[in-house]
Amino acid sequence: MSNSHQIGLEINRLTKTFNTDRLAVTALENVDLKIRKGQFASIVGTSGCGKTTLLRIVAGLENDFDGSIELDGKDIKGPSKDKGVIFQEHRLLPWLTIEENVGFGLVSRPAAERRELVERYLALVGLKKFAKAYPAQISGGMAQRAAIARALVNKPKILLLDEPFGALDAITRMHMHSELEKIWLDEKTTMVMVTHDVEEAVYLSDVVILMSHRPGRIKKIIPVPLARPRNRSHPDFLAIKRELLEEFHLNNKDIFTYEI
Amino acid sequence: MSAENIQLLARNVSAVPAKPKEYVGHPNTAGYYWRIRRALAKIKPVLALLKDKSLDWALPVGILLLWEISTQLHWVKPVFLPGPREVAESFYDLLVNQDLLLDFRASAIEVVLGFSLGAVLGLLTGIGAGLSHSVERFLGTTLNAFRQVPPLAWLPLLVLWIGISLFAKSVMIGKAVFFPVFLNTLQGIRGVSKKYIEVASIFEYNQALLLRRVILPAALPSIFVGLRYGAGLAWATVIVAEMLGSRVGLGFLLTRAQEMLLTAQLFVVIVIIGAVGYLVDVALRKIENNLLRWKKGFAG
Repeated sequence: MSNSHQIGLEINRLTKTFNTDRLAVTALENVDLKIRKGQFASIVGTSGCGKTTLLRIVAGLENDFDGSIELDGKDIKGPSKDKGVIFQEHRLLPWLTIEENVGFGLVSRPAAERRELVERYLALVGLKKFAKAYPAQISGGMAQRAAIARALVNKPKILLLDEPFGALDAITRMHMHSELEKIWLDEKTTMVMVTHDVEEAVYLSDVVILMSHRPGRIKKIIPVPLARPRNRSHPDFLAIKRELLEEFHLNNKDIFTYEI
Repeated sequence: MSAENIQLLARNVSAVPAKPKEYVGHPNTAGYYWRIRRALAKIKPVLALLKDKSLDWALPVGILLLWEISTQLHWVKPVFLPGPREVAESFYDLLVNQDLLLDFRASAIEVVLGFSLGAVLGLLTGIGAGLSHSVERFLGTTLNAFRQVPPLAWLPLLVLWIGISLFAKSVMIGKAVFFPVFLNTLQGIRGVSKKYIEVASIFEYNQALLLRRVILPAALPSIFVGLRYGAGLAWATVIVAEMLGSRVGLGFLLTRAQEMLLTAQLFVVIVIIGAVGYLVDVALRKIENNLLRWKKGFAG
């Protein structure tokens, strides 16, 4: 664990404003964040708090922001292979088979190496039998697993997950949690996940980052020092979950007041 | 119940006591029964196919029947509407004693050349304009003005410049094919979801890879709409072009038949035009279904 205390992702005074025709919306304001190498971090907040914007900026998919973001001490300039992204929708290309999708990021590698890597990661996510299927022929959970394989196959330095299991049913989601945890333990990739599911965050994360609503700021950072695999009904688990939920409600007090 | 019936019932009860369910029947009837069963079993696949395709072919067969009946019963004078048999005879005559194949070949070559010209140019221009707003703006004004002039309006000018040649007709067809292919390619590329472009950018795709693996496949359904529509236009345009200025081709046959009042020949050519156009569309649809087999659309 030599690099476990090294900083993987470092965000300094990040501010992002969306300018529309009539008004300017500040999505993120002075966000400072350090995530260690190999850590699993979750960013939790209500919808519209800017957490997805934060993730997209780290992924290099948004530009025009103030502040600095460094991955392994290097400034982030646009999207790249070393920053894998899992979106809420699987975003598999419908005209490619599952194996072609998983190998989508390997076009520059020799064919033999590509085949071997695709096979290994298909096995990792349990989709070997569906290698030749098209995305339209498999279920949502399987498609999301294929998307995870596609993102991991390049051995990214960091994997960014944007509400990756939001579209799945509760049972499938719990299966995916343990599978993702297994993959994380195997691959030791730094993972940053955006979610609004507090239990999901507590189950998977070493650290949960709570964001406030508009403008998005970091409200609180809560470590989760529980042994893995975690028991969702253990008192310690529930205590952390309760702590987070309470913060949530404190945050949301004014969001749910209506003026008629 | 009559006395006779009661008698029959009584007889049945007494006559067939042991095996009431087994039907023996007359020895001859049994033979016929099995022979019919076997015959039916033999034509079963044919019947299934008929049933399968009956909805597709019911209307054309019905029209053909009505046509035959109307000529048999002399509803219409043969000079206006010759019967199917007369048309078939005329087809044979054109094929054997005249140069139907040569005329067909001339039309087909013009269509293939013109379609290729228009489709390739339309595809390339569409891709260029689809990828770059500057290209679209640079070409837009000119192309839009060009588009307003129908293919036929160019014919006199083309004839003046290059004569009534294969090339002139192909250029005219090419013009007709160009616009549906160009516009649908442009629209298809502009309709590609940004989500897929983002995925490609994460994997550091360059322009060429992006075009080949993301943009073109995504735009393909739309491109095929243009190609199929263009193929129909090409076939229609060649006929008109030949009718107006040509000494060869199916369109020329139409004009000649009209001048000589050979109504049966008119029908022969019309049926050929329809059948070939139909077959070309079927073939294109086959190719399309094969290329777009990943697409799971509304089944209907």
